[in-house]
Amino acid sequence: MEGRVIVITSGKGGVGKTTASANIGVALANTGASVALIDMDIGLRNLDILMGLENRVVYNLVDVVEERCKLRQALVRDKRLPNLSLLPAAQTRDKTAVNAEQMKKLCIELKSSFEFVIVDSPAGIETGFQNAVAGAQEAIIITTPEMSAVRDADRIIGLLEAKKDEIEEYRLVINRIRPEMVRASDMMSVDDVLEILSVKLLGVVPEDEEIIISTNKGEPVAGTDNIRSGMAFRNIARRLRGEDVPLLDLDVPNGGWLNRLVSFFNPVRV
Amino acid sequence: MQLLNWFFHLDSSESVRSTAKDRMRKMLVYDRLELPAGRLEVLQEELLAVVSRYFELDAETTNFDLQQSERKAALIANFRLLRSKC
Repeated sequence: MEGRVIVITSGKGGVGKTTASANIGVALANTGASVALIDMDIGLRNLDILMGLENRVVYNLVDVVEERCKLRQALVRDKRLPNLSLLPAAQTRDKTAVNAEQMKKLCIELKSSFEFVIVDSPAGIETGFQNAVAGAQEAIIITTPEMSAVRDADRIIGLLEAKKDEIEEYRLVINRIRPEMVRASDMMSVDDVLEILSVKLLGVVPEDEEIIISTNKGEPVAGTDNIRSGMAFRNIARRLRGEDVPLLDLDVPNGGWLNRLVSFFNPVRV
Repeated sequence: MQLLNWFFHLDSSESVRSTAKDRMRKMLVYDRLELPAGRLEVLQEELLAVVSRYFELDAETTNFDLQQSERKAALIANFRLLRSKC
C-alpha cells in the first residue's frame, strides 16, 4: 500500500490547525480509511489532548526517530476508532529534534501501513514548518477570514509553490467563518478570500462553540452527528477521498422568522 | 429605500468587508514581490523622466497601477502623450 501524506499548515498560530488535524483524522477514519496523525509541534504538544488520548502517551515522535522504541510502540490507537492512530510530539524537546530527512523516512514507513498520514505542522515558516512538510505530497492550508491569517496563508502558499516537485497539491480550508458577520459586510466572505489567494478550496468550517466543548471532552466534533462544524469536517474528508460534495449551507439561521426573512432576501454563500 | 438597505445590509460600498479586501489586495502585491514601501514611487519618477525626454505628457491622466492575476503581478503604466519632442 502507498498511502497519502497530507500536511496541515497555516503560517499563523491559533487559526485551528490542530483542531482541523484532529477532525480531519477522525472524519477520514469514519469513512473506513486507516489514518495516522503525526503531531509535529514538538515542544508544544496538543493533538493528544484534542483526541482525548493524553493519558495513553508512552513514547513519542522523537523516541521513534532516535530509536528508543519501535514506531508501532509509539502509535497510540484511538479508543473509539481502531483504524485511527496518533504519533504524539515530544513535550520536552524543540523543533530541531527531528530533521527533514528523518521526517521523510518516517512518512515512508507510515504510508506503507496507513492510507492517510496527516501531519499537524507547527505555526511559523521556519524549521518546524519545513520539517513538517518534508515527507508530504499534499498540503491543506488553514486560514480564517481575518487579514493577518490570510496574509500568512499567502506566505505559506508561496513557500508551497516553490516546493512544486514535492507538494503536488495544496488546498485551502477557511475556518471560523461567521455567516451573520459576512451578511452584515463586517467580514470577508469565502469568495473574497479565494479571490485574494487564488487557491483551490477544500472546505469551509463555521465558527462553532461546540469546538470548545469537544476539546474539553477530548472528542473531536467530526465524530458527533448534528454539529455543523463536525459536518463541515466530514465533508472535507469526503472531498479528500475524491467525492464531489457541495459546500454546507451555513446560511440557515438559528433565530426566528425575522432572521430567516433577512437571509431569504439576502443570502450569503459562504 | 435607505431603511430597506440598512435592514437588508445591501449597501456594501463603504463596508468593513470591502475595506479589508482592498487593503488585503494591496498588501499582498507588495508581499509577493517583496517590494519595500516607496520603491514603486521611485520607479514611477524614473519612468516619467525617461518618457518625458521623448514626449510631452499630460501629467493629469498619467497613472500607474499594480494588478494581480492568478498570483502574478503586472505593472500597468498609462501615459497620455500630447506630442513628440523629437
